[in-house]
Parts: sequence; C-alpha cells; structure tokens
Amino acid sequence: MTYFDISRRHLLSMGLGGIGTVAFGARGLQAQPTQVALQLSWLHSVQFAGSYIADERGFWAERGLEVRLDAGGPNAPVEPPVVTGTALVGISAADYTAAAVQQGAPFRIIGVAMQNNPFAIASLPANPVNEPKDMEGKRIGMPLANMPVLRTLCTLNDVDIDKIEVIPTQYDPAPLVAGEVDCLLCWSTDLPVAMYVRGIESVTMLMADFGYTLHSQTYIATDDSLANRRAELVALMAGEVQGWEAYRADLDAATDLTLARFPDVGLDRPTQIEQARRQVPLMFSDLTDANGFGWWTDETVAQNIETLGLLEMPVEASLWDRSILEEVHG
Amino acid sequence: MTALAREQWPAAMGRVLASVAFVLVLWHLAALSVAGSYMLAGPVAVAQYLLENSSLIWRALVVTAQNAAWGFMAGNLAAIGLALIVVMIPQSRMLVASVALVVFCLPLVATGPVLRVLYGPGPGPQITLAALSVYYTTFIPLLVGLRAAPGNWFDMIRLYGRGAWSTFVHVRVMAAMPYLMAGLQVAAPAAFLGAMVGEFTGAERGLGVLTLRALRALDVEATWSIALVAASVSMLAYWAIGWLADRITPSRPEILLATTPAPVRGPMALRALRALALGLATTVIVVALWWLVMEAFALNRFFAKRPDDLWHYLVTAPNAAAHRAALWTASTATLVQVVPGYLAGLFLGAGLALLLALVPMLAGGVLPVAIALRSVPIVTTAPLIVLALGRGAVGTITIVAVMTFFPALVACIQGLRQAPGQVLDLMRLYATNPLARLWHAQIPAMLPAFFAAARLSVPAAILAVTVAEWLATGRGLGALMAMTASTSDYNLLWSAIVVVAVGAALGYGLVGLIERVVLARVAPEQLRR
Repeated sequence: MTYFDISRRHLLSMGLGGIGTVAFGARGLQAQPTQVALQLSWLHSVQFAGSYIADERGFWAERGLEVRLDAGGPNAPVEPPVVTGTALVGISAADYTAAAVQQGAPFRIIGVAMQNNPFAIASLPANPVNEPKDMEGKRIGMPLANMPVLRTLCTLNDVDIDKIEVIPTQYDPAPLVAGEVDCLLCWSTDLPVAMYVRGIESVTMLMADFGYTLHSQTYIATDDSLANRRAELVALMAGEVQGWEAYRADLDAATDLTLARFPDVGLDRPTQIEQARRQVPLMFSDLTDANGFGWWTDETVAQNIETLGLLEMPVEASLWDRSILEEVHG
Repeated sequence: MTALAREQWPAAMGRVLASVAFVLVLWHLAALSVAGSYMLAGPVAVAQYLLENSSLIWRALVVTAQNAAWGFMAGNLAAIGLALIVVMIPQSRMLVASVALVVFCLPLVATGPVLRVLYGPGPGPQITLAALSVYYTTFIPLLVGLRAAPGNWFDMIRLYGRGAWSTFVHVRVMAAMPYLMAGLQVAAPAAFLGAMVGEFTGAERGLGVLTLRALRALDVEATWSIALVAASVSMLAYWAIGWLADRITPSRPEILLATTPAPVRGPMALRALRALALGLATTVIVVALWWLVMEAFALNRFFAKRPDDLWHYLVTAPNAAAHRAALWTASTATLVQVVPGYLAGLFLGAGLALLLALVPMLAGGVLPVAIALRSVPIVTTAPLIVLALGRGAVGTITIVAVMTFFPALVACIQGLRQAPGQVLDLMRLYATNPLARLWHAQIPAMLPAFFAAARLSVPAAILAVTVAEWLATGRGLGALMAMTASTSDYNLLWSAIVVVAVGAALGYGLVGLIERVVLARVAPEQLRR
C-alpha cells in the first residue's frame, strides 16, 4: 500500500509543477525545472537515442524542463499513461493512435519521428521476397495482430492474400532461420538487424516502398495538454528535435551514450549501431531537411488517411496538429 | 525433501548428481542435433555465455530477486491476513475463498498495464504481480492448517480454563505452521515468475527485460542462460524453504495444499441452492470491488472499464453480437488447447507416480528432478517449448501439460505414501499382486492428493495457456488480450478478463464437484473430516 502513497505524492508534485508553470512560465523556472514524462513505446535501446541525447546534453534543462523517460514493453501500452496524464507525451504510431481515438481517447499527433513506415518483409536470399507479388505461395510468420497490415499491403499491390499462408509467430527471427516460414513481417530495424549481426544474410523489402504510407514513432499528446500545457510541449519537442539532429550527426556517439546509459538491458554494440544506421533513412528525408525533424505536410497526411482507411480506421486530418512543431521550428 | 532426509546424505547426493549429469548429457545431445537452427543452446555455449556476462546476469538477477522477495512477503502476509479473517469469522470461509480465487485468476497480461498506470515507473507492478501470484497458494493450505488441530488439543485448553486467544496461539498457530511452510515453499518460485512478468510492463532492468531482448535478438545462448538462471534460483528458493521448514517444524504435512471439499449434507436441491447463493455473493463482491478500486483511484474510463461499460459493449451496443462472437471464437480456441493439456498433464503425472510406486527404484532419481522442474518459471519455458515443438496446438498443449504435470506428480507421490502401512503389510502377507495392491489400497489413498493438485492446477493451466498464446502462438484469449496494446480496445480486454476469471472459477468448481462424486465412492472417509 505504501507504493500507492508514493505514486500519489509523485502525482501531486507533478500537479504542483504544472501550476508553477502556468504561474511563472517555463523559462522562469530555470532553478526548479518542470517535471514531465515521455512514455516510450518499447524497452530502452538506440530506437530512442535522440531523447537520451536531449537529456544528457541538457537540451531540455536549458528550456526549464526535466523529462523522465519511461520505458515501454510488451505489456506496457503507451496510450493509458498519456490519457491519464502520467506522461505528457507518448511515442505511438499513426495506426495505434487512430485506433485509440476511435475508442474515445482525445489524442493529437504533434510530431512524426519516422516519416517512412518501418514495417518490412524479411526473407532469406535463397527464397527472396523482393516485391509484394513474391509473397504468393509462401508462408509468412507474424503476430496475428498485424493481419490488417498484411491485408493492406496486399490490397495496395493487387496481391491475392488467400495465396499466402499465415503462420502466427511472435516477434522473433528464429522461425525464418529455422525454415518454419519463408518470410517475416517485422520492422526493418530489428529482426533483420538481429540476423545481420549473427552473420545471416537477409532480404528486406520495405513496405513504405510499396505504398504502405503510415507515420510511425509519432508523438502524441491529449487535447487538454495542447490547450493548457503548450509551453511544456514546445520545450519537450524542441529538445527532441535538437536531440535527434545531434543523433544524425554522430551515430557512434548516440550508440555509445545508449550503451553507457543502460548497461542493464543487455544491449550489444554491433546490433545497436546497425539499428541506429538503419533507422536514419526512416526518420530523415528531403521533407525534414527542408522543414526540420518531425515535420509533415498535408500531402503526407492525405496518404496516411488513405492507408488508415484501408486498415478500417477512418480518421480526419485534424488528428495531426502541427502547431507545436511550428512554434519549435518557427 | 523428507525423502532425502531419511536417506544417507552421500547416497542421496549421488543420485541427484547422477540425474543432473543425465539431464546435461541429454541437453548436450539435443543441442548437437539441432545445431545451426538457432533453437537450442547447449550446456557448453550456455556456460560460456554465463562466464562472459556474469556481471550483467548477476545485476539483473539481484533486481528481479529483490522484487520477488518483496512480493513474496506482501503476498504471504495478505494470505495470513485472509486466513485470520476466516478463523475469526468462520461463516465467511466459502465466500472469502471464492473471492480470493477469482482475484488469483485475473490474467497477468491484463493486470500489468493497469498496475503500471497506478504506480508510475518503479518496481511497484513487479512486486504487486509477485504478491498476486503467491497469496492464494499460501492462503489455501493455511486455511487447512488452522483447522487441522486434533479435537483433544482444544479440549485441553478448555480444561485449563484458557480463552480463545490461548487456543489460537497454542493450538491453531502451532498446527498451522507446517501447512504455512508448505505454502511458502510453493510460493517462492511463483513470486519469481510474477516478478519477471511484472518487468514486461515497462521495467528498466531485471531478468524479464533480458529475456525479451534476447528473444528478439536471436540470442539463443542468452535465452537459455537466463532460463537456466531463473530456474536454478527458483529451485534454490524452493529447497531453502524446505530445509528451513524441516528445522522449524519437524513434522510436515505430506499432503499439500487444498481444503477438502465441503461436506455433503442436506438434499440435492438445498445444496444446489447454496452453491448458487455462493456464486451470486461472490459475483456481487467481485463486481463491487472492481467498481470501488477503479473509482477510488479515479482510473480513466478509456482503459479502466467499469462493469456497466462491459454491459453496454456485450449486450446493449448495436454491434454487441459481433463483440460476443469475437470473444466466443477466442474462448473456444483457448479451451480446445487448455483442456487436453490440463488432462494430459494431470494423468501423466498420476501415471508416472503409479509407475514409481510399482518400481520404487526409479523414485530416488525422478522425484528431486520433478520437484526442481516444477519451479521453473513458465515465461522462460514457454518460448523454448514452442521453439522446440512448433506453434501449432502441440506446443501450447505441451506447455499447459508441463504446468500441471509436476504438481500432479509430486502430490500423487506424496498421496501414495498415505496408504495405511498395516493394510499394505497385510496384503503383502497374502502375496497380493502389486497391481491389486495399487488398485485397492494405494490409488484410493492417492486420490485426495490428486484432486487437490487438480484443483490448484486450474488457475495454473489457464495462466500457462494465456502466456503461451500471448508470447508464442498469437491465438486465443491470451493473444486477444495482448492485442489491445495496439487496438486500444479495452472493452474487449476487460471482457476477456471476465471470461478468464469466470472460466477458471467454474473449472475449479467443476473439479471440486467431480472430486466429491469420486471420493464419495472410493474414499468416503476423506469427505467426513
């Protein structure tokens, strides 16, 4: 029971911090930084290295913010802590956010870390999947939760989904290596990297190259925060932008920082540096070069809405709210 | 444990070492046969990994063990508290026991995220999940123990003119100690498992965190090393508490862990009515608790659904029929895997126990290994079994069977020892065939222990099947619950929780019913206590 007390005290102090911000403004609180939390979508790894850099190099501190980075996990959905206010911002994905909004969550997407969707089809060179058509007649391993993703890819590319044999697996490359399946539906930045580091060559077909346009690793916040905690949101996103730009400038430093900061997660350098490399083209593009990290245009939103429609998650363009980023980059 | 104590230590140690060596050789051969497939790391590779990463594994182990220890304490104190309530208000026994059962059956997949939101970052969810996974298996034997005192002890206290307090301290507590220790022994590995699963809710360190990373990274050496470490620590805790129990309470109960079913009294209709009333009262209390907790912590309705939300979702909503259908499909998919696995585990366990009774030579080697294996945490074994047996029904059924096999085996071996010595001597004197001896004397003596294991295995089997579906196969209720992480369909999640809890409680009741019918025929004296 004492733990509830701690958590209540914690919430109380966060609440007081919020009142303080309203009274003095974020900049005025250099000595007593405002405490907020960013809910990550998975266990700590180089996937979130930009945030670690922002923290270590004081990109948030200089804006009067102290950001707690809460790890995710297989049993730690991002949306509940953001809805309850435990975390000011969460790292979600356009489809997860759309589903949550359908269920009544008051979310807006305020930044897009992955411009290109990281979903990919991984296969072995002896029996490769180079384009969606190649999947016909093959066995694909994936969590059944991702069926809508496969169905959408098939619809977009005129592939007969009935000709693909789906074998339910979890997020694990072993079935492909062991020959249980011919290909895997996974993120291009994790299972293929695991195989690469183990010396197993694989073919990765990025779904984003075949019409699957969907923002991933999106920053979400509630309507309420957008209305009442703007200064904190701007400070948090400004730190993120600066952190990820520093990440891009020096992947080795970002990887070393991740390894040093989390010695207990069991990360190894070869995997982390490779993952760091492979997520660069997903996060940075001509669009972000022109407008800054996290940016999107009405055109990409329209493409996202189309993909989400195929996933049976109809959304409005107003799900995306660029006002925070405009303040950051403006 | 007691079996070991009775023997000469060197001989017993020799047998244990022989079984360990046997397992190591089998393991090595298996690893050789699938080399290169990234499924199984052999003992050599595991030893090498452990040497190279000893400090990493050690740090993770300390974190997980610490959380498990706190949860172990909290859960067992809660069990003692509940048992005291029952002793003070005997009328509350059935009700407290059935509410405790329903709470025990809440699936970890679902309680984890809620606990994380309640506690924020830190070890709160890990500790709570560890506590939740132990309190029931301590509460039930304790309940038996507190009532296990012989009647003349009570008479003695009364003769000396002492009151209820003295009765409690000098009779009940003393009588309950051995049962408490038996409960604590089972609780130790369970607490460890709870702490590991708790880490899936967003922990920064611990063996559970390392397991997740290793599985994804195709790091078989790490996966098997962590499984080995987790299993060894759980076994060590099991043995250590057993050793302590031998010191504190010289006479330990041979039969583990379950209240005898309620005595059969009154006409059929009345009994049915009473069962119905109990079910109703339990439902009312659980629903009230559910509502109260959510309101007390002001949990957001987005993810913390109230009973009325579910009523709307499943009954009054326009597409309620579709919701019910989805739930039904998943439930049947789970049911067809959990029932065969559960039965197979139970009967294989009982069968092996009988075989050991016929060929006692084997028992010395098998029993220590079986007791040890029963403490291996399911989160580490489930992915391994699926890797070995595939993702179809066979893998899941095997996981469930493993989960019920060991408790059944251990309970049945202990139960077989309960056969009255004089009866066996008499039969031996008349040169009765060993099979007849088994049938007429030993099996009836074993049945109460068998059913005790059968009842406590119901929640364990459901835990196993949902974990397997969640982590490995992606089908059934376990997968449905895990999927809400991406769909935010918390109505579906809470509906699934209700199905699992109700299903477990019904299964438990059904086994109790069968137990009563069977025991009434073969061992009526067991019902009359």
